[in-house]
Amino acid sequence: MKPGRWACFRRHLLFALALGAAWLPLLAGAVAIVPAHAWELDGDEARPPPDDDPRWRETRLPDSTRAHVAWYRVEFDHVRDKDDALWMLYLPYMYGGGRVWLNGEAVAAVLEGSATRRVRWERPLLLPLPQSLLRDGGNVLHLRPVAAHQPNGNGLAPIVVGTQDELQPRFEQRLFFVRTVPVITVVAGSVVGLFFMFIWLRRRQEVLYGLFGVAVLLWALRTTTFVFDSMPAAVWPLWRLLYHATTGGFVIVMTLFALAMAGWYRRRVALGLFAYWLLGPLLFLLGGAQSDELVGRWWELGLIPIGLSMIVITAAAAWRQRSAGTLAIALAVTLAVAAGVHDYLVAWSSPLIAGLLPKWTEQRFFLLHHGANLLLLVMGALLTLRFVRSLEGVEEANRSLEARVAQREAEIDASYRRIAALQRAQATTDERQRIMQDLHDGLGSQLFTSLLRAERGALDRTDIADALRSAIDEMRVAIEALASDEQDFRTAFGNFRFRWDQRLRDAGVTPRWQVEVPDAVLDVPAHDALQLLRIVQEALTNVLRHARARHVQISLRQRSDRLEFEVRDDGVGCAVPAQAGGRGLSNMVARADKLGAQLRVEPGPPGMRVSLAWPLPPPPPPPPGDRTPATSGDVIAAEA
Amino acid sequence: MRTSVLIVEDEPEFLRRFSDAVTSDAGLQLLAAVSTGRAGLAMLSAEPPDVMLVDLGLPDMDGVTLIRHAVSLHPACDVLVVTMFGDDQHVLSSIEAGATGYLLKDACGDRIAAAIHEIRCGGSPISPSIARRVLARFRITPAPPQPSASPAVGAEDSPLSPRETEILRLVAKGLDFDTVGELLGISPHTVVTHVKKIYRKLAVHSRGEAVYEAGQMGLL
Repeated sequence: MKPGRWACFRRHLLFALALGAAWLPLLAGAVAIVPAHAWELDGDEARPPPDDDPRWRETRLPDSTRAHVAWYRVEFDHVRDKDDALWMLYLPYMYGGGRVWLNGEAVAAVLEGSATRRVRWERPLLLPLPQSLLRDGGNVLHLRPVAAHQPNGNGLAPIVVGTQDELQPRFEQRLFFVRTVPVITVVAGSVVGLFFMFIWLRRRQEVLYGLFGVAVLLWALRTTTFVFDSMPAAVWPLWRLLYHATTGGFVIVMTLFALAMAGWYRRRVALGLFAYWLLGPLLFLLGGAQSDELVGRWWELGLIPIGLSMIVITAAAAWRQRSAGTLAIALAVTLAVAAGVHDYLVAWSSPLIAGLLPKWTEQRFFLLHHGANLLLLVMGALLTLRFVRSLEGVEEANRSLEARVAQREAEIDASYRRIAALQRAQATTDERQRIMQDLHDGLGSQLFTSLLRAERGALDRTDIADALRSAIDEMRVAIEALASDEQDFRTAFGNFRFRWDQRLRDAGVTPRWQVEVPDAVLDVPAHDALQLLRIVQEALTNVLRHARARHVQISLRQRSDRLEFEVRDDGVGCAVPAQAGGRGLSNMVARADKLGAQLRVEPGPPGMRVSLAWPLPPPPPPPPGDRTPATSGDVIAAEA
Repeated sequence: MRTSVLIVEDEPEFLRRFSDAVTSDAGLQLLAAVSTGRAGLAMLSAEPPDVMLVDLGLPDMDGVTLIRHAVSLHPACDVLVVTMFGDDQHVLSSIEAGATGYLLKDACGDRIAAAIHEIRCGGSPISPSIARRVLARFRITPAPPQPSASPAVGAEDSPLSPRETEILRLVAKGLDFDTVGELLGISPHTVVTHVKKIYRKLAVHSRGEAVYEAGQMGLL
C-alpha cells in the first residue's frame, strides 16, 4: 500500500472511530430512572403476588434466576412534569418474552414461548406506561419474564423508566445494532458471498475467492438466526443446528483463508479443522436434551483457540510480508476473535468479564457481529484490490502489447517502403539499361552499318536518304514509345498512328486503322511497347518500299490476354518470301522472338499480311504502402 | 488570293527546303525567308504574313517570343512551328504562345505546302500526346468523369466547351480524327477546326494565367 493510500485509510479509520464515539454520550448521559433495587419471586402465578408474600427476596438489577417463570417488583418515583410527557419502560433485552403490570394493572405483554412456539427476542423493547395509571410519587412495576430457550435461563435486564424523549434514542440505537446490522449483514453477505463464489467457479485456481465466498455465505446464514424472533417449536432444533454449524464453519473457513493467504495451507490441517467443524453439528444431533448447552458451551469453546491461532497466523504473515493488506487482516482478525471471546464470556455470564466491566456486561452487547463484519469488509476490500490490480495488470499488458504491435507495424511499413523505393530504383536502372542496349543494337548498329556502306561507296543518294530516314524513324518510334507520360499503350500507338497516317497518305497509300481495345488503360511496359511498334513500323516501311500498294489496313486488337497486330496491304506481294523484306523481315523475326510474340508473314492475295500475336504480361501487383496509385491526370497536371 | 508565307529558320538547308516548298506551290506566296529572329520581327512589322513558319531554335531569340509577338501584332496570322519530334513540351509552349499548328522538320515539300493549306482552311493537327498535355493545361483529367461521381475538378470553370473537351479526350486515348468524327457525329474536318479553336483558347488561357501568376509574384 502506498503512503497516500495509507493516509487515506487512516483518515477513514479515524472518522469511523469518531462516529462510534458519538454514541457514547447516549449511554453515559442518561437522566432517566435506572432502578438498581428490586424484589424477585420464583413463581408462575398469573397475577402479581401480594407484597407480603414471603417468597419475595430482595435483589439488584440485572438479576438472573433458574426459574422458568419469575416475578419482579420494581418501585420508582414519578414526577409529572409540565410537558406531561409520555413515560415508557425500556428493556434492553427480554429474550423469552413476558408481561408487565403498572400499579396492579396489566399494561403490556410480550409474546412468550410455549409448547408449540419458541421465542427469542433479540430486539430491545420499549413499552408505553399509560398516564392514567401513573401516580405522582411512588409507583410499582410488576414484571413476569419467561425463560427463553437460549440462553437457557431467566432474569431481568437493567430496565429504564423515563420519558419517550430519553428512551427512544436508546431503543433505536440498540435496535440498530442488534437488528438492522444483522439484516444488512444477511443481505449484503449473501450477495457478496455469491459474487465471490461465482468468480471462484469461473476461476478455480483462485482458492482465496472461493474460501472468502463460503465464509461470507456462512456468516450471512449464521446471522439469519438472529433476525427471526419467533418460530414454531418444531423448527427450533434445526435453527440451533444451523446456528452452530454456521458459527463453527465460519471460524474454520476463515482460518483456512488465513492459512492460504499466508501460504501455509496444508491439506492435513484443513482436514483436521473440517473434522472439528463436523463434530459440533454431530454432537448437537446426537446429544439429546442437553445437546444445545453441550455444543454451545464446550464445542464453541474449542473454536476460541482456533480463532486465536488465526491471530497468530495472520500476525506472522503480516510480519513476514510487511504489507498493509496483511497487517489490516491481522488487526481485523484480532478484533474479531476478541469480539468472539467477549461474546462467549458475556453469553455465559462469565465472572471474568462481569467482574471487570459490570456496567457493560449487564447490557449484553454482542460484538462478534460487528467484528466479523469488519473482518469480512477488510478481506473483501483486499480481494477486490487484488482483482482490480490483476485487471490493471491485464490492461497494462494489453497497452504494452498494442504499443509493440504498433511499433512493429511501423517497422514493417517502413521496410516495405524501403523495399518499394529500392524496387522502383532498380526498375528505373533496368529500364535505362534496356534503352542503352536498345540504342546500341538498333539505332547505333543501323548508323554504323550505313556509314560503312556509304564509305565503301555501296550506297547511292536514295540509299543514303533511306538509311537516314529509317534512322529518324527509329528515333521517332522510340520517343513515341518511351516519352509517353504513363504506360498506356493506346497513347503510344495513337502517336505512332498519327505520324504514320500522314506519312502513308503523303506516299499515296490510303491507310485504314482498326483499333479494338477495351476502354481502359492498356498497361504495356515501355520497352515492350517500343519493340511492338518497331515491328509494326518495319512492316509499314516494307509496304512503302516494296509493295506498291494503294491501301493498307492496320489493326490492333486485344483478345483477353494478348495483343494482336495485323498489317495487310493490297500491293504486289512477293513471289519469294525470303526477299519480301530482306533485312527488315529478319529484324522483325528477331524482335518477335525476343518479345515472345508470334509473327506470321503470309502472301495475300492480294499483297502481304503480317500478323503478330503477343501475350500481355500479367498486371503487376500494386506496391505496398502505395494504396492509391496516382491517376494519369494527376501525373500530367503535376508536370504541366 | 495567294497565301503569303514568312519563314524564319536558321538552318540554311531547311530554309531552302521550306522556301522551295512554298515557291513551288501555286497557292502560296513567299513573303520572306529569314534566318534570325530580329529579321523576322522586322518583316512582321513591315508586312503581315498570312502564315508564319518558325523554328524554335533561333540563334538570337527564343522562337516562342517571336510567336507571341507575331500573334499580338497580327491576330489573323497563323503560326506553324517546326518541330523535331512533334510531341515535346516545345510544341505546347508554342501553342500557348499562339501557334496553331506544327510541322515535322523532315517533312517533304508536298507535306509542307499541304500543312500550310490545311491551317489556312481552319484545321489544326493534334497528336494523342499533345491532346494529353492540353487537357492537363486546362486541369482536366484525361478520363471522363463517372456519371455517379462528382464532376471533375476544374471542368465547370474550364474555358473549353463540352464538345471540345470530348474531342481532346478521345484523341488523347489514341483515336484518329475519322473515328472521333464518327463517334461525335461530325466530319473529320470539323474535328480539326475544333482543335484549332482549342489551341486559341489555350493561348488565351495561358496569357490569363501568366498575368495572374505575374500578379501573384508582384511583377505587375
